[in-house]
Amino acid sequence: MIALPIAIAVLAVAFILRRSMRGRTGHDPAVRLPHRSGILANTSSTIALVASREISLRLRGRTFRVATGVMLLAIAAVIVIPTLGGSGGAHERVGLTGHGSRAVASAARTTGKQVGATVETINVANASAAESLVRSGDLDLAVVDGRTILVTRTFTSGDRSTKAQLTRALALVIGEQRAFGSADLTPDQIHAISHIQPIPIRGLSSSKSTSSEQSTSAVGLILLFVLLSQYGTWTLIGVMEEKASRVVEVLLAAIRPTQLLAGKVLGIGALAFGQASVLVGFALGLGAAVGSDVLKGTAPTVVVATLGWLVIGYAFYSWVFAAAGSMVERQDQVQALAFPITIPLLAGYISSITAVTSAHASLYVTILAYIPLTAPFGMPVLVALHAVTWWEFLLSVLTSAAATYGMARLAGIVYRRAVLRTGRRVPLREVLAIREPSRSR
Amino acid sequence: MLKLDGLTRRFGDTLALDGLTFDVHPGRVSGFLGPNGAGKTTTMRAIFGLTDLDAGIVQWNGRPIDLTIRRQFGYMPEERGLYPAMQVQEQVEYFARLLGMGAAPASTAAGRCLERLGISDRATSKVEELSHGNQQRVQLAVALVHEPDLLVLDEPLAGLDPGGVDAISEVLREEARRGCSVLLSSHQLDLVEDLCETVTIIDHGRVVVAGEVDDLTTHGDRRLVVRVEGDRTARWAKQLRGARVSEIDAGAVRLAVDDQTDSDTILDAARTAGRVTEFHFERRRLSEVFREALE
Repeated sequence: MIALPIAIAVLAVAFILRRSMRGRTGHDPAVRLPHRSGILANTSSTIALVASREISLRLRGRTFRVATGVMLLAIAAVIVIPTLGGSGGAHERVGLTGHGSRAVASAARTTGKQVGATVETINVANASAAESLVRSGDLDLAVVDGRTILVTRTFTSGDRSTKAQLTRALALVIGEQRAFGSADLTPDQIHAISHIQPIPIRGLSSSKSTSSEQSTSAVGLILLFVLLSQYGTWTLIGVMEEKASRVVEVLLAAIRPTQLLAGKVLGIGALAFGQASVLVGFALGLGAAVGSDVLKGTAPTVVVATLGWLVIGYAFYSWVFAAAGSMVERQDQVQALAFPITIPLLAGYISSITAVTSAHASLYVTILAYIPLTAPFGMPVLVALHAVTWWEFLLSVLTSAAATYGMARLAGIVYRRAVLRTGRRVPLREVLAIREPSRSR
Repeated sequence: MLKLDGLTRRFGDTLALDGLTFDVHPGRVSGFLGPNGAGKTTTMRAIFGLTDLDAGIVQWNGRPIDLTIRRQFGYMPEERGLYPAMQVQEQVEYFARLLGMGAAPASTAAGRCLERLGISDRATSKVEELSHGNQQRVQLAVALVHEPDLLVLDEPLAGLDPGGVDAISEVLREEARRGCSVLLSSHQLDLVEDLCETVTIIDHGRVVVAGEVDDLTTHGDRRLVVRVEGDRTARWAKQLRGARVSEIDAGAVRLAVDDQTDSDTILDAARTAGRVTEFHFERRRLSEVFREALE
């Protein structure tokens, strides 16, 4: 639940920045001339101005609102739909024939509770009537003379549906009752046997990850991949559009390239983190409200690690995307350029999701967790699988931070050299090869 | 005062700027002329640190230009650039704030600037919805909004109708009267002649002519304007001694005549071609100064 306060904070900052950017619309009669003292505005306020433009531009744009709405709807669908179809789980109609049906009926209801289903028992005249009712679908299953269970089709071993679980459990319970009956046991003996207490299990080392940690991690990986590539592409297109519209020349006459880039990256980044937090907060809140078990037992450490690596991953990749954007000025050049950047994202995503679903931290994923390009995917998985110590985690964070600093420097150079060269796609080779003569400033 | 001293910039094998040196004085509109590829845009970019220099320095009031100084400059680049989907007033305000103004002064200044350029009725329109001429006015508003000490305008009059040219010319004159140094490039030399007090003509990255427009147009060979009825080719003038054809303008030939030549001999030659309806001396035009400087 850490995501919600973060989301609120980010949105509040965005709102304040937007307000301050738009400024007061009323004309203040006391202000006749621009304040020359204000000319010495510092770097951070310039970056904040650029960032707030990026945020307000997108918050006002239809694309962002529609995309967020679609994602919220998708999350709502995933969480709410499984809880529909009867309150408190599935409703199963069980037909009973022949002798001892009262004992079977009570066993069926008890078993139903255990697998989370409401069981309705219906007495049926004979076996052939039961068969036709099962065939027609009026009954989910029928117990014939306390000996056989009829279903439309037998279940595969992997079938985890309520009906399959109920049928398997009921088959076992009725079998036990029959065994107790034929063994001629006293009621006390029957009670003792049927209330077996399992002996305790003691682990010698800390527990392996739970399946809920794995599923949280898998959902987190999907979110990471979608958001990193989406916002990365936004950064790329944002830079490209400023180059294409030539507004960048006016901007760079007034502010430094690093200020412009940092403002853009921070603005889109704040929006990315805000949107991710809203999505996660919405999912957790809605899950709790409707009592969904999709997010039951969401592991807080995995949520925090995933959101943390979203920030680190975005910080690194946004510079790569921004530098790429400065080399092109047409929409059709974007795909060709974005693709090679997406490859490490895709590689990290696929290997990590494989690792988390197989619950095995392979050497490959462990290595990826320390490479800044793939660490945003690898490291949260290692956290979910309990395959990392705090200092290993910290090492990976520091490696990524150092790589991000280096990438920011490199992106700054590429940007400054490429963004005013218009007319054709600027090859990276040329940008990096240009010797740097003395600057005029 | 803006001082450009020995600016040199090489792109591969091309020498775009070759020791370019000239000054731009406050309170004046200065023309910056040259054929395509002469180095005008590179020079303007160098003033804003937008291109690296191999040698030379740009100074403002004796100091090398840094970001703080540059924020007192206004710039209108050759390739116009605005955010197409942003509203006019909001856009001008945004640039004013990037140039260091506070929110309220930026809003006031942007509103006043739009009014001055006659586009305050389009304040809430998106830039992409405006006509070319009005977009150009917004671009100028972005350059003017913070009352800069130096205005650098690349082709500010290109593509404007005569009304637009007059309006923007008047705004630039007002800026100069306020004490601003205005440097503008243009290929419309007749407009530059009306608007600018001084010009600098460059070619191949070097200054070829610089000076007051009045001096440049009153010096050099006098111009004799001769119009012969029905004659638009002025073939009669091609063989004259001591006078050469400078321009043919709407049927009237403009002859560059040296001091020794007697205008009567020219009149006689013209009469052989037909009835002479116009015959008088004029100053050199700026276009003639330009063409002769580049010969």
